[in-house]
Amino acid sequence: MSMRVIFRAIAPALAALALASCATVSSAPVGALKVGEAYEVSLGREWSDISAVMTGKTKKVRLLSIDGPLLNRLYLTDGLLPGDYLIKPAAKEQPTPVIRPDMSASERLEFVTDSVAALEYQRVQLARPRAAKFGETSAVRFDLNAQTKEGLEMRGTGMVAEKNGKIYVVLYLAPAEHYFEAILPEVESLLASARLS
Amino acid sequence: MLRHAASIIALTAAFAVAQPAAAQRAAGLRPDVSSVEGGLWAVMDDAEQDAKTRADLNTDPALNAYVREVMCKVAAAYCSDLRVYVMDRPFMNASMASNGYSEVWSGLLLRATDEAEFAYVLGHEVSHFTENHSIEEHQARKTRANVGMALTVVVAVAGAASAAGATSASEAQSIMDATGNMIDLIYLGQVASLFKFSRAQEAEADLLGQKRAAAAGYDPAAAAQSWRGLVLETKGSDFKRVREGETRTSVFSSHPLSSDRIAALDGQGATLKSGGERGRARHRAAIRPHLAVWLREDLRRRDFGGTLVIIDRLAADGEDLGVLHYYRGEAYRMRRGEGDLARARDAYLASTVQPDAPPAVWRELGDTRRRDADIAGAKVAYQTYLARAPQAEDAWLVQDSLSSLERGK
Repeated sequence: MSMRVIFRAIAPALAALALASCATVSSAPVGALKVGEAYEVSLGREWSDISAVMTGKTKKVRLLSIDGPLLNRLYLTDGLLPGDYLIKPAAKEQPTPVIRPDMSASERLEFVTDSVAALEYQRVQLARPRAAKFGETSAVRFDLNAQTKEGLEMRGTGMVAEKNGKIYVVLYLAPAEHYFEAILPEVESLLASARLS
Repeated sequence: MLRHAASIIALTAAFAVAQPAAAQRAAGLRPDVSSVEGGLWAVMDDAEQDAKTRADLNTDPALNAYVREVMCKVAAAYCSDLRVYVMDRPFMNASMASNGYSEVWSGLLLRATDEAEFAYVLGHEVSHFTENHSIEEHQARKTRANVGMALTVVVAVAGAASAAGATSASEAQSIMDATGNMIDLIYLGQVASLFKFSRAQEAEADLLGQKRAAAAGYDPAAAAQSWRGLVLETKGSDFKRVREGETRTSVFSSHPLSSDRIAALDGQGATLKSGGERGRARHRAAIRPHLAVWLREDLRRRDFGGTLVIIDRLAADGEDLGVLHYYRGEAYRMRRGEGDLARARDAYLASTVQPDAPPAVWRELGDTRRRDADIAGAKVAYQTYLARAPQAEDAWLVQDSLSSLERGK
């Protein structure tokens, strides 16, 4: 067996090891958290920044969690421009929603719900869209209901805003049983603290 | 070497021989729990329990009753052996497990033009059950793995022995190269055999399914038509790789898989009693309450070209045009290719004159008009939406858009 054959056989394992050694979970401590260049939120408790270990990570999306991504996850996006996505597609034939240059308010909400559906949640339904403020900028607050494939009820809440052609999203997702309500007060404070510069 | 080569050819030929088909099962039969089939059933029993709690299980009693009724028509004596679950998944698929647990995906119900096409697919799945295809495939896989491994060892040993007897280093190298190539061929033969075996079962289920549907009183021509619909959808895909999918699946043959299946079904169909029930109205009535949700789910696949082909098929008889034109507009709006927004506007307009137009079409028409700088048209569309859906959760959002237009923004 040639070295080339041996290397080809073990290359995936080596790549996985290399990735595991590079990707880290870091602390997002209490206090101001700057997201990209444009906005910041205030964290009332320590979160873990798991952006680096999630598959399909992108530079413009920060992903925080407290108990792990299956139990609570918080997406915070820097200003998304046309062509940007919240969820990176796994393949060209499985595209995920992208920002368009002239999105209406309903399309921005559709972008959120379809992105959650692209995470393979089932029966994703947006509820109670309502007027809100993202700092001084007009925004839309919303709630979300979905289910995992296995039938676990999920709930979500968040906010989407547009400023100077860029879209900003805050999205919190957690199982309806215990976890959603447990962290909701922290998420509400965080949403109220969001500021766009 | 010739003797070795002859042995190899003989073994390869033996490998290529199709496995003997298992006998057709008797209705009502349960396997002994200690048998191989009993083990397969136990695994599938667990999978069936999982299916009952899946989020995408469709629990609409009327739809489930319809699916069950058609399944029993084509299953005949096997009806009581089968349990069918409708899953809201936007892909054309149905499955049958060895224990009689069957799934029908919403994508199949959406794509079947009528009950006869749906019955053919169910007949195909029932045939997998009656012909014991699961146990047959399990046995064949075991045999292929064992024969393949034995053959590889035989070739490797024969090659090594021949190389040891070579009179020069270059001859020994040539023998070893030839041995390596032969081992590669054996591997490829295993892979090809896997494809062929699977195709043989599928082809058998195709023909038996068509016979079952015809015996239940359905038009046998529906079988090939269901495949033609899928071919059209594949050709209409937005993705080059999907459009070329037919030839990719037939990498081990010279022409597309679907063409083979269509030709076989056309051939057998000509020998069966022509005519028969199509059940178009009954099928549409069964799926009508789910059209909007299933089309929205299909749009989330984001292969808008494929969705447009499905909508064209559904609209062919002029039914449900308010809903269908609306979702045609949605496909164009979401795709946003060159000229798509104008196509979306035209589709929305076509929807608005239909009695079943959903209120949301006026919201989308308003947004489209606004993009076109048709302020008066946008205002009228938004006002119509608010009049038709005053309680909608997003009414305030549309009112906000209307107010901004009235303020001249």
